[in-house]
Amino acid sequence: MKVLFTIIVCKILRFIGKLVGKGSSLPGQIALKICPDILKRVQLPKYIIAVTGSNGKTSTVEMIAHILTQNGKNVAWNKEGSNQIEGVTTLILNSATLTGKVKSDILLIESDERFAQYTFKYIVPTHYVITNLYRDQLTRNGHPEWVYNAIKDSIHPETTLILNADDPLVSSFGKDRENVIWFGADKLSSDTEKFVGVYNDGAYCPICKSPMKYSTYHYDHIGHYECTSCGYKRHNTEYTVTAVDLQKGEAQINGKYTIKLALKSLYNIYNLLAAFTVASIAGIDQDKIAKNISNYVLKNGRVVTFELGGRRGMLLTSKHENSISYNQSIRLACADTNGCDVMFIVDAVSRKYFTSDVSWLWDIYFEMLNNDNVRQIVLAGKYCNDLAVRFSYTDIPSDKIKVTEDIGQACEYLDSDRKEYIYVITCFSDKDKFLGKVKVD
Amino acid sequence: MKILHLYHDIMNLYGEYGNVRAVERILQKSNANPEVVTATLGDSVNFDDFDFIYIGSGTEKNQKIVLDDFKKYTNQLNDYIEAGKVALFTGNSFEMLGKSITDADSNKYDGMGIFDFETVEQNKTRVTSDVIFTADFLDEPLVGFVNKCSEIKGVETPIFDVKMGIGNCSGDKKEGVMLNHMYGTHLTGPVLIKNPYFLEYIAKILSGNTDKFEVFTDYLSYERAGYEVTLSELTKRMENNSN
Repeated sequence: MKVLFTIIVCKILRFIGKLVGKGSSLPGQIALKICPDILKRVQLPKYIIAVTGSNGKTSTVEMIAHILTQNGKNVAWNKEGSNQIEGVTTLILNSATLTGKVKSDILLIESDERFAQYTFKYIVPTHYVITNLYRDQLTRNGHPEWVYNAIKDSIHPETTLILNADDPLVSSFGKDRENVIWFGADKLSSDTEKFVGVYNDGAYCPICKSPMKYSTYHYDHIGHYECTSCGYKRHNTEYTVTAVDLQKGEAQINGKYTIKLALKSLYNIYNLLAAFTVASIAGIDQDKIAKNISNYVLKNGRVVTFELGGRRGMLLTSKHENSISYNQSIRLACADTNGCDVMFIVDAVSRKYFTSDVSWLWDIYFEMLNNDNVRQIVLAGKYCNDLAVRFSYTDIPSDKIKVTEDIGQACEYLDSDRKEYIYVITCFSDKDKFLGKVKVD
Repeated sequence: MKILHLYHDIMNLYGEYGNVRAVERILQKSNANPEVVTATLGDSVNFDDFDFIYIGSGTEKNQKIVLDDFKKYTNQLNDYIEAGKVALFTGNSFEMLGKSITDADSNKYDGMGIFDFETVEQNKTRVTSDVIFTADFLDEPLVGFVNKCSEIKGVETPIFDVKMGIGNCSGDKKEGVMLNHMYGTHLTGPVLIKNPYFLEYIAKILSGNTDKFEVFTDYLSYERAGYEVTLSELTKRMENNSN
């Protein structure tokens, strides 16, 4: 009776919530109050696929859901991105019959990395994808090893882990473990032999803390590594990006599937590969998967094209307090051989909590922008001075840089007869302040 | 002028190399001819050769590895501090100077014993806060961020009064530790970039310790503007919280 009651309450609250445009956390939160172990009492589908990690969760989950749905599977997933236990509870109860049976073939859960241990206390995923562990919201998360420990407590022995072999810290979840499926990239034409960036989180072995040696770097500390002392090294992969051509916008998986890239970044390729891996495991034909993800444009609104006066541009939602996310966006702009202007906006560091900390600006490799493709740089928002200080420590000529706190003024400045494409790099917390001033496609 | 950035590749969690770049730049602008040397695990340096020493923060695991290596410099560091030379330790690096560090699994590591304070870590909650600190020797307050998982008890010579945020341990209104011109604080990140007045103070001590070069600060306009914005944001926050 309690289960029935809880499910009904949750469904009604969600229904009302949708009508009035409320988020998806509250119904689950109330359900958990009524019946704290409700997640143990529901009947879950055969496949429970969880996805966590610092970056790429939402995009990866969206692509997995897209492929599975296209191939006739019924998928329950947290589309709204409420990825803590409350949101996951809403998702599950809303997808359940009144007797507590989840009707879908596959339950697909994006989980916040720090709180995964609570979500997966009662739900045991059959498959658990861990995308990467980066410096992310250090003002809340501490550091990647701290998050590593939090995720570790969420892993059940019977779950098959699906791990990014190119991330040394993520890979250490699979050390001495049998039920692991590895994905990663071969040495690619876009790789570098030397580390590129401001800090290297792969400099020391996560197991024994001796120096690590890389034979190739894909980006930041993602690459092919081997410890100089304990022998810990990158694992061979079953699902592999075998080649990329970022100029052309193509990636090849397992030597035979060519994927056209809607977003020409390596970063995005890892999300595609993780989705390819999961869909393959779920039994979808790989030719079909390749078709489904080829040219797939994410619907989560993280990449938005726009018109500003007579000029065209693209907003790349990047995460404040997350240097690798910024580095990837910067890399994309720098690769534009037609020439471009780049604008950064840091106005509110977070939309969810207060902080005025800008240390993370010093972890971003802005030096990369000292590149002939990048013509003008605009720094805007409340923290434009801190951006300007950071840029003063790069070799970028100061006459290329315009600093203006007011985002409207920054837009007016960009509304010129220049022909260059505009890249706007900013976070969820600030992107609407810009998009409200331009014509979004 | 020689600057030593110790453990630059492993105690580097929050963009803290910015502190070294800030000192280097103010010395350059003041025509004091700085040279930066980096040294890490397994290296060996002579502290006598340096005018400014810096270590940043690391993960709890990295800090223990570094502590084991850093202890070989205990006598050198004592002499260096005694001589009134300048050192800055940010984040959990300064915990190494105390008597001991106990980790979340109750393993106790001997510290360098330069101070009597003791550090105890836990692994449940990350203790973080934007902060405003003041110090007798500075006309302007410090702004910044603390990000830790430890309680530090028994500090007899703290640096700062906590106006907003967290001190050495819960309930403590004092933060950091100092001795002569050695400053240890749990402020993380590029503290000297965010606090141009503290940077200026450090540069003046460096000047006094050497050939009394004139400290040049005119170039710090964006730094000062950024500082004012953060101070005003934090002050608003503090006033809202106390209402």
